[in-house]
Amino acid sequence: MELALETPARLRAVPAPSPETTEDGTTDAELLVRVGERDRAAFEELYHRYVRSVMGIALRRLRDRGRAEDAVQEIFAAVWRSAASYRPERGPAAPWLYAVARNAIIDRMRARNEQPTAEAPEVPSGEPGPLERAERSYVSWRVHRAMEELPEKEREVIELAYWSGMSQSEVAEYLHIPLGTVKTRTRSALTRLAGVLEGEELA
Amino acid sequence: MNPRFEDIVDEELSPGERERLERVHDLLIAAGPPAELPPHLERGPTLGMTLARKRRSGQRRLMLLAAAIAVLAVVFVAGFAVGNSGNGIVGTHSLQLVGTKQASGALASLVIQNADESGNWPMTLSATGLPKLPTHGYYEVYLWRQGKAVAPCGVFVVSNKSGAVSVHLNAPYHIRKGDSWVVTKQLPGMNGAGPVVLHPQV
Repeated sequence: MELALETPARLRAVPAPSPETTEDGTTDAELLVRVGERDRAAFEELYHRYVRSVMGIALRRLRDRGRAEDAVQEIFAAVWRSAASYRPERGPAAPWLYAVARNAIIDRMRARNEQPTAEAPEVPSGEPGPLERAERSYVSWRVHRAMEELPEKEREVIELAYWSGMSQSEVAEYLHIPLGTVKTRTRSALTRLAGVLEGEELA
Repeated sequence: MNPRFEDIVDEELSPGERERLERVHDLLIAAGPPAELPPHLERGPTLGMTLARKRRSGQRRLMLLAAAIAVLAVVFVAGFAVGNSGNGIVGTHSLQLVGTKQASGALASLVIQNADESGNWPMTLSATGLPKLPTHGYYEVYLWRQGKAVAPCGVFVVSNKSGAVSVHLNAPYHIRKGDSWVVTKQLPGMNGAGPVVLHPQV
């Protein structure tokens, strides 16, 4: 499998030296280097940081939960096989992993004579074009990865407010906590996410 | 319906901070909810992911084959036999096993170490919830290949009520991609592998 290192062009013209650092101080790039040295513990850590992002891209491309779950396994197997080819000096880990995931899905679809959903459709439509879809896909990839950096209590208020359609008052009622606490956690989460995403030139 | 930033953060913010947080707000909306994971993906990477071998082009494969033959020739001349190389297992691996209907509630972890110089794979099985078997009954760990118990790797008994046991075993076989392990229940008079009581988590 060839590993394409390009990322959606409009997102990052110049790869930034991303911190991609978590609370334990280990960056994704450091983990990926260790995976290349066949460090299984590093692989497990990297897996947990990215599995939701990987599942997300697989679901968007394949549009079938069963096939997406199979693809997740193949993608991480591809990461394990290919990690030794990652060079931290050439860029952060996130776009590299994104490229591995995307290529593994495309390889899988080609092997089954399927058209990748990101290919341009023959009939013009109002749907987003391939570049926009790639950009959205990459935004989701990075945002969901950044969400993994949030403490559980902050993550839940964000998920409820943004993706469960609850108002702040409803979140407070649902979690049995004061409204002020919901607002504090939400503000803290947004600030934390901004810090993570700014390190990657996305926010 | 997407939330409005003003409803999410209603406190006074400096213009710079407001812009900064509003961009995150927009990204969260653009990203949409993360995918839900099935339990088997939530748990962690599987052994199969790290057993997968790198796919190579035909030409590269031929070159590697030629190189491998050369290396083997040198090894042969030197009088060394190197076993189990190239099977894809590197480092310590842990395989989670769960009870079948024969031992529902049983759980086990099988830790597989690197093969030793002779080609033996040391393993440690730690299990809980296995029922105590009748006199002369025992449990047996089998190498599992293509849906069949193909080779025994060791036996053990459970004598305490908790069904907890930790035993050191060995797999003196050449392990292939896709291989796994199961635990069977061996009762008196039984020939060959008995019913599987623990199998890998799917």
